Amino acid sequence: MGGVTAAGPGEAPVVAAPAQPTGYAGLATRVVSFTVDAAIITVVDVIIGVGAALILSLLHIPHDLRTILAVIGAVIYAIGSIAYFAIFWSTTGQTPGARLMQIQVLTADLGPVKPKRALVRCVGVILAALPLFIGFVPILYDSRRRGFQDQFAHTVVVEAPGPSIAEVSRAKKRAIYEASRRPVSERDALDG
Amino acid sequence: MSENDGARSMPNPFRPLIGFGTRAATATLKPIAGAVEAAAEAGLGLERRAVNRVLESEELERVVVVAINSVHIQAALKQALESDGAQQLVDTLFDSGLIDHVFERLLASESLWHMIDEIAASPAVTAAISQQGLGFADEVGDQVRSRSRKADDWMERTARRLIGRPPRVLPAEPDAST
Repeated sequence: MGGVTAAGPGEAPVVAAPAQPTGYAGLATRVVSFTVDAAIITVVDVIIGVGAALILSLLHIPHDLRTILAVIGAVIYAIGSIAYFAIFWSTTGQTPGARLMQIQVLTADLGPVKPKRALVRCVGVILAALPLFIGFVPILYDSRRRGFQDQFAHTVVVEAPGPSIAEVSRAKKRAIYEASRRPVSERDALDG
Repeated sequence: MSENDGARSMPNPFRPLIGFGTRAATATLKPIAGAVEAAAEAGLGLERRAVNRVLESEELERVVVVAINSVHIQAALKQALESDGAQQLVDTLFDSGLIDHVFERLLASESLWHMIDEIAASPAVTAAISQQGLGFADEVGDQVRSRSRKADDWMERTARRLIGRPPRVLPAEPDAST
């Protein structure tokens, strides 16, 4: 099974696509994952928004210009949110929320998601949410637990059990410790 | 002039004889005294060497290990520690205020707080604290995952029952032999 695997010291964890999924993520798991992501996006946006508001409060800006700035801020917020999901889906297949819930977004044939497909999926999520979230209902009865956005973008959300954050951290620390205990000659041979 | 002075001044015919005897005895006993002294020193050196050999021997180590592992000695120690005398000794120690004094001095010591600061800032301690935090987050994550998976299955079963669909067939486990 794929998922995040511990890498050597100083290297990023490797995300491998699962050859055969052990299962597909259901609605509750996805809701928790999305809630975590929404919390992360909100916290970041609140920090940025409060900072921008404090800076703008020092300036005398006309009312109309203030409205335009608010619209620009909203557009940046929307683009940032879409970019958040699109980038994570098209790189590791896991947003931080998905990483916590150990689920991964893959193509229907279990391959990695490309950026274009990730953007299409973002649009699918918005379309699924617009009619009172009816687009997510198929997750409950579809054979592969696919919602509208998955059918729209030809993706699936699979379970991706892997080492936890603590295990990865421990593995990295152990690798660093073992590397530091190796004789200098052996380390030189490994380095070069 | 008294009678004693008269006797002292009187010539003693045995005095040369006594002097000769004393010198003869001294000359005779001198080698013996030296021999006794040398023997005593040799004895002391022998004793020191014997003690050193005993302390350096593996036999002593074995004896100590056997003594520590001895059931009788352990029972005696246990009995001594559980005795009223031992408890009274501890009570007396605390009642004396010595412990309070030691702690007061320790708490007033700058070195102690410096040491605590050093330990708190040490990489090992900070790593242990961060590991504990991550471990706690892992535990929470495990619980959330486990409950959300159960909720997934329950919601799916309910939805499928409502629309009259059979339960979903789980994907087959990969064959270990292939």
